[in-house]
Amino acid sequence: MPKFDTPARIVEQTQLTHGIFLLTVKATAIQDSANPGQFCMLEVKYNNSRDPLLRRPLSIYKTRANGQISFLYKEVGKGTRLLSKRRPGEIVRVLGPLGQGFRLIDDRPQCILVGGGLGIAPLLLLAERIKQSGKLIILIGAGNASEIPTIEDFSGLTRYFHVATEDGSLGQRGMVTDLLAQTLQEITGMAQIYTCGPWPMMKAVYHMARRKNIPCQVSLEATMACGIGLCLGCAVPRSDSHGFLHVCQEGPVFDADQVHWEYNQ
Amino acid sequence: MIHQKNQITKSPDLSINIGPLRLKNPVLLASGTCGYGAELDGLLDLDLLGGIIVKGISIRPRPGNPPPRLVETPCGLLNSIGLENVGIESFLRDKLPWLRNVKTSLIVNILGNSVEEYSEIAKKLDGAEGVKAIEVNISCPNVKAGGIAFGTDPEAAANVTRAVKKTTGLPVIIKLTPNVTDITKVARKVASAGADAISLINTLLGMAIDIKSRRPALANVFGGLSGPAIKPIALRMVWQVVRAVDIPVIGIGGISTPDDALEFLMAGAKAVEIGTATLVRPGTAEDVPAGIRYYMEANSIQNVEDLRLPDQQTLNPVRYPSFPIEGLPMQPL
Repeated sequence: MPKFDTPARIVEQTQLTHGIFLLTVKATAIQDSANPGQFCMLEVKYNNSRDPLLRRPLSIYKTRANGQISFLYKEVGKGTRLLSKRRPGEIVRVLGPLGQGFRLIDDRPQCILVGGGLGIAPLLLLAERIKQSGKLIILIGAGNASEIPTIEDFSGLTRYFHVATEDGSLGQRGMVTDLLAQTLQEITGMAQIYTCGPWPMMKAVYHMARRKNIPCQVSLEATMACGIGLCLGCAVPRSDSHGFLHVCQEGPVFDADQVHWEYNQ
Repeated sequence: MIHQKNQITKSPDLSINIGPLRLKNPVLLASGTCGYGAELDGLLDLDLLGGIIVKGISIRPRPGNPPPRLVETPCGLLNSIGLENVGIESFLRDKLPWLRNVKTSLIVNILGNSVEEYSEIAKKLDGAEGVKAIEVNISCPNVKAGGIAFGTDPEAAANVTRAVKKTTGLPVIIKLTPNVTDITKVARKVASAGADAISLINTLLGMAIDIKSRRPALANVFGGLSGPAIKPIALRMVWQVVRAVDIPVIGIGGISTPDDALEFLMAGAKAVEIGTATLVRPGTAEDVPAGIRYYMEANSIQNVEDLRLPDQQTLNPVRYPSFPIEGLPMQPL
């Protein structure tokens, strides 16, 4: 699959809520070949500064036919803070599209997407893709409403859309896994689960899926240096104890039963 | 300006010799930062480089260390990958065929737990079509000698060098660790044991602590520091080793621009390896030969070797002012 390392002009940089940003850049070549679940490495430093040294991996949130790609991200440290200061018109280097995205399974008439917090980022493109072919169930959870400011992007895609927040500020009070438990009781027939969010949430989703014999794909996160399989830094232990999965190259999306979930992140 | 302008009109010659190995230019990709080459397909034109040194290979596949394996530090990167690799058999079967189609010199980095393992891998590479040289990583633990790294013991380093030289006709480059008191001691031993060239430096041992979780940031506690942060140390060690041995020296450590590479060539390195910079921007190395050529043209320098600075730089003598205050030590201004 082709990858591109290209200077990209910033089209939009919007602070949606405290610490959460939507960044849109123009990178036609990357937009053209991006699949749901793939990511990009974005340069966050200015000019020739060497600190911070590394790029930051961000899931592709949205693409538009005019060559634009959007990233939904949270300011968590020095790198994302610098990125959030970049303004429309400025150039950032973007490497992508990277990794193996979500695999669509033909014989699954209903797909359940489970997103936690900004774990919703890689799920939008997937939801748009699934919407064209089958029944789409979207379950989203967060601590409070301000952690998921782009919820409207999802709510219009399906009538099977449910939100839970721990403080009850949006949707049902509780966890996204409560929504999943209810959904799994209601549905009949073949299903497929796709999930992205905090590790404990994905682990819980995986165990619930396994009890119901529903296949589950997870999108993982890891500290990365290169994003293209050069450094082997983004290792996650395999469930079969035979070495490691590499999030950037074999992932970020894995079949959940490949992952060693008891590993203490 | 290090060279008088003169009447050279020929375009600069960037080719160099590393022992019996001729490289079209002095820019190589460093082992551990360029995978097995194919990962960079479409992002870096390998044909423009002097060579590629692929990920260190051991006798059997190695799974590597548990995560977290990486932490970013100011202008640097700490890693404890743990020499994860596919093993020599898989390398020869699955990785080498792709590399044969690249028009640059292929150098294979090897590692082992014992002198015998180094010899065994070297032997397997000896007849492998497409392999132009071997770089020997002697900064991994020597299990047989109780955990002392080969690279920190001059005698053990010499033993590995002799063993590898005995089993292969390929040029042998020994890659040194900087985690020693006097790197020239190891360099001299390795040179007299028959190494064709020396490359340095490997990463510097370091650590970071996550104050939120109150744990070391790396699962392995310690890791190797690379990136621009280590360049001054690498440059100093290259300068020292160049002046301690007669064999070619390849400079490594924080090189990310043509200017960085030129500093190492001026220190006397015959060639340079680009490492962490490739992780940051895959195409980094591509610009370096062109940048070196541009500098040589602008300064009328014909050969890469001519970039080397003289050992004794004539500096303006430092003037010590005489302070009239009794008992105050004199300081240079």
